[in-house]
Amino acid sequence: MELFILNLLNGISFGCILFLVGSGLSLTFGVMGVLNLAHGAIYVIGGYVGWTVAVKNGWNYWLAVLSGGFVAGLIGLILERGFFRYLHRRINEQVLLTFGIIYILTNLSLWIWGAAPKPPFIAPILSGSFHLVGDWSYSIARVAIIFIGIALAIGLWWLQEKTRIGAIIRAGMDDKEMTVGLGVNYELVATGVFCLGCFIAGASGVIGAYLFGLTHELGLEILLLALVVVIVGGTGSIQGALLGGVLIGLIISFGKALFPDLSMFLSYIAMLVILLVKPSGLLGRKTLR
Amino acid sequence: MSVNYGETNILHRRQWILRIVPCSAVAIILLVLPAFLPFYLQNIMSKVIIFALFAMSLDIVMGYTGLISLGHAAFFGVGGYAAAILIKKCGITSFWIICPLAILITAASAAILGIIALRVSGIYFLLVTLALSLLLQNIANKWYSMTRGTDGILGIPSPDLGLSSLFSWSSTGLYYFILVIFVICSFLIFRIVNSPFGNALQGIRENEHRMEVLGYNTWLYKYLALIIGGSFAGVAGILFAHYNGIIAPFHLGITTSTLAMLMCIIGGLGTVWGPIIGSFIIILVEYFSSILVPERWPLVLGAVFVISVMTLRGGIAQQLLRLREKLFYGSIKG
Amino acid sequence: MEALRVNNLYKNFGGVQAAHNISFSVAAGERLAIIGPNGAGKTTLFNLLNGQLSPSAGQVLFFGKDITHKTVFQRTHLGLARSFQITNLFLELTVLKNVLLALHGVERSRFQVFRPITFYDQHLDKAKDLLDLIDLWNKKDDRVQSISYGEQRKLEIALCLASKPKLILMDEPSNGLTNVESAEIACRIRDLGREVTVILVAHDMDLVFEVAERILVLHNGRIIAQGMPEEIQSDPRVREIYMGSNDMIVECLN
Repeated sequence: MELFILNLLNGISFGCILFLVGSGLSLTFGVMGVLNLAHGAIYVIGGYVGWTVAVKNGWNYWLAVLSGGFVAGLIGLILERGFFRYLHRRINEQVLLTFGIIYILTNLSLWIWGAAPKPPFIAPILSGSFHLVGDWSYSIARVAIIFIGIALAIGLWWLQEKTRIGAIIRAGMDDKEMTVGLGVNYELVATGVFCLGCFIAGASGVIGAYLFGLTHELGLEILLLALVVVIVGGTGSIQGALLGGVLIGLIISFGKALFPDLSMFLSYIAMLVILLVKPSGLLGRKTLR
Repeated sequence: MSVNYGETNILHRRQWILRIVPCSAVAIILLVLPAFLPFYLQNIMSKVIIFALFAMSLDIVMGYTGLISLGHAAFFGVGGYAAAILIKKCGITSFWIICPLAILITAASAAILGIIALRVSGIYFLLVTLALSLLLQNIANKWYSMTRGTDGILGIPSPDLGLSSLFSWSSTGLYYFILVIFVICSFLIFRIVNSPFGNALQGIRENEHRMEVLGYNTWLYKYLALIIGGSFAGVAGILFAHYNGIIAPFHLGITTSTLAMLMCIIGGLGTVWGPIIGSFIIILVEYFSSILVPERWPLVLGAVFVISVMTLRGGIAQQLLRLREKLFYGSIKG
Repeated sequence: MEALRVNNLYKNFGGVQAAHNISFSVAAGERLAIIGPNGAGKTTLFNLLNGQLSPSAGQVLFFGKDITHKTVFQRTHLGLARSFQITNLFLELTVLKNVLLALHGVERSRFQVFRPITFYDQHLDKAKDLLDLIDLWNKKDDRVQSISYGEQRKLEIALCLASKPKLILMDEPSNGLTNVESAEIACRIRDLGREVTVILVAHDMDLVFEVAERILVLHNGRIIAQGMPEEIQSDPRVREIYMGSNDMIVECLN
């Protein structure tokens, strides 16, 4: 029973990180129709920047999270303004471009931070564990991650449903030409959303370092997981990304416990099933073309 | 274009020269030059030829039919693994048995994966092919007893042609062997893409809906294109297994797929020469980067991806074709 | 001999009834025109006949054969061809390639993988005949993108003819053409002879009265009148639905 709860909480906290990364991907995918495969590499760079701030320099952890996000957002800005806005709807060019960016970013981070993996780190206030049941305890940080995930989900939902910017995003997802035609500065909003997505990715790189540490291969792994999450949950939907994240997190967590060799296999099968049966995802709001 | 429709004799000769010159140049580079190169450069040439074939196989699917796939390396890998497993696990050594068997296995896998992937189109097709290749890579990683897991299968020998009494393999010999297979495959691919079937694929790429109205069962064509493209990728995989001596899960993955994609785009989608040129360029850039800036090869590759996407329209082969047309007709016709 | 018989055809999109209880027949060799205001459901009807849309209910018989559930390409092989209102050609390919694709579409050779497409002399000859018919042979190596709009419309029809059709569905063939070009189209349709049945959708009343032997009037997905051109001209219901929407058509009906 305790094992079950342990796996459950692990799965949910893992899923929250996946949601954090996936939400950014889902937003850009849904809003701009751009598949940013470099999203994972941006996560890693954010994480490394945060590591430099928090571990190497010993500064405040939350500053590290923000700096990771900030640098990631900056990279996003360069990507969007410099490249993506010329590649609207050209899928194989987008794939190749973002793949090239992956190579560049990964090699750069290898150059700057070296090949040795960085061990997990967290804010001192969150380290340690607390009593749950009997003599069984659970890490505070993991619970904090769950709260952060939920907070972000609420924040993004509020942004999307209750603000003008959100309305613009939703309108643009449904009918881009019309939105632009109504005189809305859609390009500015789209760029802003893209940078926000990258900011979240970078910040989650720092937070996720508690669970995964930091290595250079992590970029591709996180990307693939985020893709699975976004596909399963549904593109362009925050609730979908959260659902998808938690679902995949649970599959992998329980999968690792029950069938250790099949955990990733099961998530890819989940992705395939969704793509074939309901391509817009479980809660998706838009089917792309 | 056949000559029966209005071209004069003068143009005919010009046309003939403009065909013969580039062909001879290529023939010299591929046939004659390698005999005089040091062995490590011969190895590079072998790699160029193998990847040229792989890229051409992707071009059938992506360039001619218009199906953008992120999973093409799956067939490359299946071909390589099939050959490796047949040699190392089943003890079959004769190349004459292994090659057709491995091609058959690859074609069968394309037949299965194709049925799944063709249920969707557009970006979802891209994602499904990605998911399928990830699945296969995962299997290759985990099924240790068959595939030796992440280490891959090592020690794959050079092809056994049953002539070991006559000669033993040198890098020159291997190069010419690979070249022969490549030429045969290229000839087949050339015939396929210029046939009514190949033209139908282009029609589907341009306007699938109209092709249906004209009487074509477009699903069937796409399916056959996948199987044919997959099979040629399998041949490249078999050659690669013998050339490289090692086949690993990495060779099934998205990195290998996108490499072929890049070669096609640089060289020119939808042409026979394009992927060959693309392979040449990429493998050479890889070689020189490994000498000049060994740690930074991915950076260079990434830059090549980015630059070619942002600047090349239609690839190098397309630019060369336009040039040739200009010389043919005095203007670009189509 | 009935070329086409449509029995009680319905098509619903969510709440919208694009086709409501459509029944009519066309005799072999006949020239039928379908007219009606915008949104009447003409193109939807063609999509239903052609197989691009499957009906919610009803039956379509082609020379006695039930084709209601046959795919688009199966219908083409039975002899049903269609031209499109909005030019639906292979823009990046040459004029000749467009025609060759259409010609091979109904031949076994379309699955040939080894012989080059230029090997088939008889198809090249047929292509020449078709292109001569529309005066485009000298532009055979031009990309369709680069020929004029009027020439593209003519190529649309040529592609239909290449499919060896027994019945052609022509959707607004003179869309966007000048009077001279439209008259040319009318000539071509007349020259097709009695082996080919033609069903025409058109707004161009000159073309309709030139070509049609019978007219069907659609409105809101329903047939509200059918008969000879003179009957339709004097039918008060037809005038009513056109009144206020297109004065020129009303004038033509006078």
